[in-house]
Order: sequence, then C-alpha cells, then structure tokens
Amino acid sequence: MKKFYRSRHWLGSRRLTLLAAVLLFLVGLLVLGAKPEDLKPSEGGLRLAGKFLKAAVQPAFDYEAGDLPAAAPPFWEKVGHSLVLTLRYALVAMSMALFGGLVLGVLGSRSWWPVVNVSSPSGLVLLWILRSVRIVIRALATLARSVHELLWALLFITAVGTSPLAAVLAIALPYGGTLAKVFSELLDEQDAGAANVMRAGGAGSSAAFLIGVGVRAFPDLITYVLYRLECAVRSSAILGFMGIPTLGYHIATAYEDGHLREIWTYLYVLLIAVLVVDQWGALVRRRLSRPGPAREAGHVDDPVAELRRKRPRSLVLRASLVLAFGAVVVGWTTESRWQSELPAGQRQANLERFMREAIPHPVREADNDWGKLGPWLKERICPEGAVALHRTFHIGTIAILFAGCAALLAVPFAARSLATRNILEVPGGRERVRGLRAGIGCVLRAGALVMRSIPEYIIAFLLLQVLGPTIWPLVIALALHNGGILLRLGSEVIDNRSSRAAEVLVAQGATRSGIFTGSLLPESFNRFLLLLFYRWETCIREATVLGMLGVLSLGSLIDDANTRLFYDDMLLYVLLGALLVFAGDVVSDLLRLRLKGGLVRKGAVHLF
Amino acid sequence: MATVVQLTGAGVSFGGVRALRGVTLPVEEGEQVCVIGPSGSGKSTLLGLMNGRLIADSGSVEVFGQDLVQLTAGQLRQLRCGLAWVPQDLGLVPNLRVLQNVLCGKAGAVGFFGLLRRLALTRMEEAERVRDLLERLGIPEKLYERTDTLSGGQQQRVAIARALYQEPTAILADEPVASVDPGRARSLIELLTREARQEGITLIMSLHHVELAREFFPRLIGLQAGRVAFDEAAEEVSSEKLRELYSMGEE
Repeated sequence: MKKFYRSRHWLGSRRLTLLAAVLLFLVGLLVLGAKPEDLKPSEGGLRLAGKFLKAAVQPAFDYEAGDLPAAAPPFWEKVGHSLVLTLRYALVAMSMALFGGLVLGVLGSRSWWPVVNVSSPSGLVLLWILRSVRIVIRALATLARSVHELLWALLFITAVGTSPLAAVLAIALPYGGTLAKVFSELLDEQDAGAANVMRAGGAGSSAAFLIGVGVRAFPDLITYVLYRLECAVRSSAILGFMGIPTLGYHIATAYEDGHLREIWTYLYVLLIAVLVVDQWGALVRRRLSRPGPAREAGHVDDPVAELRRKRPRSLVLRASLVLAFGAVVVGWTTESRWQSELPAGQRQANLERFMREAIPHPVREADNDWGKLGPWLKERICPEGAVALHRTFHIGTIAILFAGCAALLAVPFAARSLATRNILEVPGGRERVRGLRAGIGCVLRAGALVMRSIPEYIIAFLLLQVLGPTIWPLVIALALHNGGILLRLGSEVIDNRSSRAAEVLVAQGATRSGIFTGSLLPESFNRFLLLLFYRWETCIREATVLGMLGVLSLGSLIDDANTRLFYDDMLLYVLLGALLVFAGDVVSDLLRLRLKGGLVRKGAVHLF
Repeated sequence: MATVVQLTGAGVSFGGVRALRGVTLPVEEGEQVCVIGPSGSGKSTLLGLMNGRLIADSGSVEVFGQDLVQLTAGQLRQLRCGLAWVPQDLGLVPNLRVLQNVLCGKAGAVGFFGLLRRLALTRMEEAERVRDLLERLGIPEKLYERTDTLSGGQQQRVAIARALYQEPTAILADEPVASVDPGRARSLIELLTREARQEGITLIMSLHHVELAREFFPRLIGLQAGRVAFDEAAEEVSSEKLRELYSMGEE
C-alpha cells in the first residue's frame, strides 16, 4: 500500500508540469527576443492585411492581370492543373510510403515474433537478433522522418533538379518513416487473444499474426493512412514553395505579382481538397468501426446462399477501396515524365557535383582528409548553428504552449458533450438564448477544422508579409495549426470519456466551467499532456523549415547556404535539424510511454 | 480408452510464486472434467499446461501419450491441432465475419495458404458446414454478420463453433462463461457439454459456477492454492467439501 501512495511521478503532477511550461515559455521569449510590441503590424502591413482580407470575400475567378501572353491557359485550367498535380504527388507518394511503411512497420513490431524459446541459447540469440532488428528499423524510420519533406525536396532538387520524382520522393521518405513507426505501434497494441487461440489450436505463427493481429489492426491502420493522406495533400501543396508546380507554387507567385484575390482562389481550392479528404476519412472510419445494420436480417431457416445475399455490405467501403486504388493507378500512370526536363548527362553531372560539394570544403580541398572536419564543424556550429538550433527549439516549444493553452481554454466551449444545453446529456433546462452554446461550439469546431486544414507554412508566409520578419509569424502559424488539431483531439477526449464525477457535479447544479475545472480537466490531464507531447514533437519538426521564410533559425541558415550554393553547409544544417527532431522524437516517446503508465510489460512471459 | 492428458507431479511457478505444485491427474478420452476452485487457485495455469502454453518446471505433462517438453515446434503444432482452446475473452477477431472466425478453427490443419484461401474464397460446402454448426448452437442466421455486432452470448457461441469446427480430440475451455448472466451461462454449458458428448470430444473446463459444474460434469477437480484438493465423481463432492475449498482460499 505504501508503494501506491508513493507512486506519484513528477510527470503526473499538474503543478510541476504547469510550472515547467511557464518557465519554458518565459525562457523561450527571452531567447527569441520576442517583444509583444512586434505583434503590432506596421502601417504598410496593416494596409496589406486589409486588402488581403477584402480579397478573401472576392476570390479571383479569372486572371487578375489584364496583359496576359496569348499562350496562357484559361485561369481555371491552371488552377485545376495545379490541384491535380497536388493530389497526384500526394497519392503516389502515399502509395510508396504505404508499401515501405508496411514492410518496415511489421519488421519493427514485436507481435510477429514467433515462438521464441527463451530457455534455449539459440532462442535467446534469435530474440536478441529480433530486438536489434527492431531497434535499427525504428531508428531508421525516425531518422527518415526527422528530415522535413521540404528539406528532402530541397536536397533532391539541388541534387538532380526539379522533377515530379523529387516531389514524390520528398514526401514518400518521411511519410514512410512515420507510417512504419505508427504501424509497428498499432500492431503491438492489438489484443493478442485471437492470435493466441489460433496458435493454441496448432496454427503457424504467420497465420496467427496475419489474421489474429493484422486483420484486427486493419481499421486502425486504414484510419491512420487516411489521416496521413490528408497531411500528404498539404505537404504536396507546400512543396510548391520549392518550385514544384503544385498549389503552393501558385500561391507564392500570385503573391509576388500582387494578385491577392488569386491567392484566395488557390487557398480555397486547397482547403476544399483537404476537407474532402478529411471528411472521406471520417466516413470510412465510422463505417469500419461501427458497421451499419444489415439491410435485411437473416432468418434462421435461410440457406447459405440466401444468408450470403443478405450479408451486410458497406457501399462506402467498397466505393472507397475502388476509388483509392483507381486514384493511385491514375496518379502513377498519367505523369508523362517523372524525371526532370534536363538531359540525362546533365542530371548525372549535377548529381556528381552535388555529391562532391556536399563534402565539407576543407576536407574536399585537402583530398578527403577528414581530419580537417573538426575546425570547420566548430566554426559552423559555434555560435551560428547552436544559436539557430536553440531558437528553432524555442519556436516550436512556445508555439505548442500557446496552442495547448488556447485549446485547453476552448475545449469546454467546443466539446460536443459540453457545448450544449444538456451537459453530458443531463437535461439542463431552458435557456434564454436558445442554441447559443451549440452555436459557439459549432463555430469553434469549424474554426479548428479550417486552421488544421491550412499548412503552417502558408499561414506563416502570409503573416510574415503583414507582421514583418519577426519571430511572431512563425509562432502564430504553428500555434494556429496545432491549436486546431489539439482542440479537436482534446474535445474528443472529453466526449469519449464517461466521468461519473462530472455527472455528479452536473446533477448538483455545477456550472460548465466548474465541471470542467473540477472534474473533467484533472481526470483527463494526463491524456491532454499526452496529446501535447505528441504535437510538440511535430511542432519542432515543422519549426526547422519555417525559418526558410527568412527568420533566423535553422531553416534560414539552410536557405542561406542553398542560395550561396554552399552545399556542405546546407547539408550540415539539415543534419543538425534532423538531430533536433530525432532528439525531440525520442524524448516525446519516452515521456508518452511514461504517461501511458509504462507500456513495457516487464517480466511478461513469452509463451508463444 | 486412451489417455488424452496425463499430468504427473506437475508444478509451475511464476517469478518465485508457485502457481501449481505436484499435480497428478489423468484425463481419459471422451471424459468431461470440470476444474473448480477459488480465484488464483491455479485453474488457468492447469489448462495452460495441457496445451503447452505453459511449460511445467517440475513433473511431466503428456498429451496423447507424448511428453510436451520433448516435442519439436512442428510436432507441437501438429499435436495442438487436436486441442481446441476457448479462453475467457474468447479470442475472436472482432472485424471478421462469423463465418471467417469459425473457419480460423482449422488454421492449424490447413496451413497458411489454405486458411487464406478459405477466408477469401469460401467454398459452398465449407460455408454449409459452418452453418450446420451454428444451427446446432442456435445462431445460423448470423453466418455472415460481423462478429463484433453480436451480443456477448452469441459471440461465445461463435467461439464454441470455432472450437468444434477444428474437429479436435479435446476442448480446453477456460472460464468460457465468466462474463454472462447465470441463465445464459447455464444454456451455454449445456450446449457445450452436449455437443462434446455427441462428437465424442474430451472436454476439460474451468468454471466459477460450482452449481453448473455439479449439474453438467460427471467429474470434478477441486484446486486450492495450486494443489488438487479433490478429484472425484460429481455426486461424491459434498457441499461440505465445496465450502472448505472456497473458504480456505479466502484466508
């Protein structure tokens, strides 16, 4: 019993967590030199913001410029083409990532390990090998996703030129890593009951794994893949900022030409595309987890054929399968050339030059004497690299603290079970303003949906024009996007939780905020923290590229090095960023594991 | 009559705690045996020894006359094809159809690709066979339903159908009715013992419900703190003995 009382971990302590958050926040503001007065836009910025917002209500339906070259395609053809490219690259990249993610995800999971007889020496060796394979694969997967897709694109484009292949690979690599990691986690989280029964009945390990674990995990895997597809559409769009002609490319050029109304056209198109994928994913998820009732109930006397005819079938799932498969095939086959337009010899030469110049220049000039690396490395890292690294970390951290704080404040007004007259479905009596609660909830949820649908990079790009090159556009962009995600996930936590304590409070007449702070918040605190750490890691990852927009951090160093054609510097800073993300990933994983109550089941007997 | 399971002085311990000690008992072919005893007395462990999910660290466990420790992985798999297992949590795949879950009973006998073929392209005669089994268990109309849309009691029937479809020599059932109300539990036990008797399948079950055990099983084994307290015909087990079995466990 004593142990029970002493089992309080600092992570579970709300007071300490809040204290740490406030401290990190203040230190971050200090490090970044973020001043509140910088939040006030300049007069020019204000004017631009006004014009930009005015343009929002009248997006362009045709070219804004009057003097067009005769060869220009109709406006909508241009918009449609960039949308098609955005979707095509996203789909093709996802299909590649899915393949890699499945193979690596299975290899990286524990649940397929066959009967390992731990009592025999050879069994122990086998177990040791399997463990090492798992660790190596997980490290590789984490490494692949530590480099942001924009940076992968930058590397590929500098190495072999702008091409659809570069775009697709840039997305496929990090996404494959992410899928591998999440797949192996999902597989390991499945209840092993069915697989155990099958093995106990004489089935081989592969059959037991495929049916007992794989089939069982299928809905979870599909749900995650569809979420990643939505992310891939966003990623594909922002690759435009690297010169790939997707939606982001036209947003950037329209801005350069001062065509604000055209920007909105592309933004709305992107928003609609992301929302369609998002809603489709939600529909598939619902069908997979809660199948609809059979249209016609089977009868006890029905023969097999009759029962088969009446079997419950989901049109949505079948149509989705055909649609997804068809779209991937079309995506793969309709691209006329995957390679860049440069002749093969030129591509080869470019690649060789890149490979040569990616080697640090003192080393290169001294005939690959790697002893020269030390001084060069020191010069790059102190102080410039270290400062940029530090700033990047704090940009991500401050942003996630903002986002978490805002989401926490908004959750009681956005969660479906609270933002209604009848809190937690307990009749709440008549209210003077009917439906006001539900209305506010609806607006908040819709706002969150829009915010998480627009890529951070685009929000930051637009904000920079208004606020000028301070740290704020980056922080706000990250906070808006992640706040939207956290608000949705946080509301789901509240909605899916049945809390007796909260129901008692409702019955005793407590107010909405009283119920939230008195019971729901403390009860769900660890879950919220879990979500925060999950997004923190992705925030840091995103922060490594936002600097490319021209605010001192790792991204700006990378961009600088690229424009000056210092490929060795560029690669170094990319690696530095990867290191930061890798570290963030590992720390976040450890913290989350700890929060989940330690999923590592020590001493569990491996029976099969 | 052949001996299906023979435990001789078998014992198991988990991390220094002895879960089972010196258990000696034979189970003959076609017998119906029920293992009773308070929580933690070693019922699940005893069943786990019988299909080699657990390995005895003392004594020996023979199934179909073969010592489990001596078997290679392949031989163990083959032996297990003759042993069906119905655990407390049933171990069904929730998002498969009832038909497919039942077909998984033959996973050991038909091999990996045989199973995949059966799941993806079920032949008429296979579906007929499963429907017959389900009819005997009272839920033929659920053949093509998704398993997680069935009630708890119906899912238990699916698990039993899967065990029967395996055509085993023996069924090991570990508290198969722990989570249903007494009325349902009774009809399920009745069903399982009846089917096993008809097919000549040996049935070894652990149960919480002492009354059900006495009503349906000719032979009862009382376990207490990992030891066999009694092993005799149901009519010889007095209420006195049962009280003793359960009272000691609580101290």
